[in-house]
Amino acid sequence: MIRTEHLTKIYRMGGAEVYALHDVNLEIQDGEFVAIVGPSGSGKSTLLNMIGCLDKPTSGSVFIDGVDTAWLSDNELAEIRREKIGFVFQQYNLVHTLNALENVALPLFFAGMKREMRMEMAKEKLESVGLGDRLYHKPSELSGGQQQRVAIARALANDPEIIIGDEPTGNVDTTTGNAIMDMLEGLNKEGRTVIVVTHNIEIAARAGIRKRMRDGRVRD
Amino acid sequence: MRDKFLLAYRSIRERRTRSILTVLGIAVGIAAIVSLMSVGYGMEESITGELTTFADLISVVPGKISGATYVEQGSFTDRDVKDVQRISGVKDVLAMTYGATVVEYKEKKRPIMVFGGDTKELGSFYVEPVGLKEGRWLRENDYKACVIGNRVATDFFHKEIHVNDKLIINGEKFIVIGVFEKASTLYATDVDPHIFLTLRAAKGVLQTDEVKYIMVRVYDINEAAAIAEQIEETINDNHGLDEFASALTMGSMLEQIGTVFSILRGVLVSIAAIALVVASIGIMNTMLMSVMERTHEIGVMKAIGAKSRDVLSLFLLESSIVSLVGGVVGCVLGVILARIISIAASSALGIEFGAVIKPAVLIGGIAIAIAVGVLSGFYPARKASRMSPVEAVRYE
Repeated sequence: MIRTEHLTKIYRMGGAEVYALHDVNLEIQDGEFVAIVGPSGSGKSTLLNMIGCLDKPTSGSVFIDGVDTAWLSDNELAEIRREKIGFVFQQYNLVHTLNALENVALPLFFAGMKREMRMEMAKEKLESVGLGDRLYHKPSELSGGQQQRVAIARALANDPEIIIGDEPTGNVDTTTGNAIMDMLEGLNKEGRTVIVVTHNIEIAARAGIRKRMRDGRVRD
Repeated sequence: MRDKFLLAYRSIRERRTRSILTVLGIAVGIAAIVSLMSVGYGMEESITGELTTFADLISVVPGKISGATYVEQGSFTDRDVKDVQRISGVKDVLAMTYGATVVEYKEKKRPIMVFGGDTKELGSFYVEPVGLKEGRWLRENDYKACVIGNRVATDFFHKEIHVNDKLIINGEKFIVIGVFEKASTLYATDVDPHIFLTLRAAKGVLQTDEVKYIMVRVYDINEAAAIAEQIEETINDNHGLDEFASALTMGSMLEQIGTVFSILRGVLVSIAAIALVVASIGIMNTMLMSVMERTHEIGVMKAIGAKSRDVLSLFLLESSIVSLVGGVVGCVLGVILARIISIAASSALGIEFGAVIKPAVLIGGIAIAIAVGVLSGFYPARKASRMSPVEAVRYE
């Protein structure tokens, strides 16, 4: 379960304080499919970064499975990201010097898994997203949709409980976007918690739960 | 570990041109160090190697030698020579005098250093190792004859001098009865530019009765140091001075040469070190640029679970690989360069020597390269490892 309590994030821009998140209280149960919607600058991505342990709050707490991540060290946060969270970014964010297989195996490498095992698992994940015939292609040799599927395979590499998508369909056409949403839905049906940020209403409509954000606050 | 190497290698290859230039920068620094050290060792070995064949010799000079400088304090007397002859363990004594004087050949005049000594002794010191190209060596009654060094014959006047040609030395006519071969490294400065006379003739043309140099040959090499001390004492007593004469065994000369060469090597290496500092700034620059370009990638790595130390070690590994390759390339270049320098210097300076490549220098060169890589890679690597993942991911 993910829970935020009085979660606040303040950025200092020049002399002014900007509330990216303002007293956000939110609960996401295990296995839920949540879409966070709202206009640009409403704090969606900041919230996602907090839940994804990429950033620390200015005040308040983020509990993941009962642990308040606000108090964890950078290394402990890295461990949580590695074990419990899979990220899918709008820009795919693959390492362009590595091929698809190596990209998917990268989180396992940081987890200290042996090479043979890592490659075997990465291959399985790529096959599960339908890219069994693209294992040795570099990102630059893949289409946007294919790259995003590699990114999803990478997010799945560590078998995380939580999948976080920051505009995962933002850079692909509608058909590919729907295919990616199908995939995320499938993962949700397997029991994983899926949280996506989007400003596409259609995509948001496919999630079981929608949270609206505006000016750093969540309005259900 | 293998995978970290692979990751580092990939990103080095990705920036191929820049990586090659960085490698070259280090290679030049290391090549400079390796080649200069090897040339230095080569010179030292060729000189000390020749000197060790004269282990039974003691040279005595009327002055003080400290480091590479010599301050003349006067000259020896005939009594000094006789007293030295009486010291036990002494086999032969060669008293010599020398000085610069005007020499004329076919109406061209120039100053040349003239040496005079006991002809038999002088002959055994110089004729045997160097050899004569033409003619014969001096005899005791050759008062109006001279033997000339190779450069005197070939370089000093506009026509080459041969046996039976006449030279006017300080106004007196001498006939050339012998010409030396071109001498090797050790003898080159002693023989090639000089003219040799009998002691009596030399004293005549130099208008002096002074003995400026005594060479002593001992029976037992092991006693050389003790005999040298005794020679100094004897001559100092004669002159009533504490530090008048210096008697040098070949052993102590070797030591002095060693000191001079270690200073020389130090100077050469510090010059080369400048090249290395420049190279290390180059690595730092390359790595900083790499970190900046890859901010986004670092963010992604962190987002998918890389710890700070994973990122740190990846970047350190990268700079170490670059510098290791630079070190190896530098050693190879350095060896080639040392060979070229030694060939060029041999012909330019007229001394025979080959570069001496010591394994310790090569290992040291590579170790320095890696140290430079790790040190100059550390700041960029730490910068990379401390990036906040969220800001790094957002960075485009």
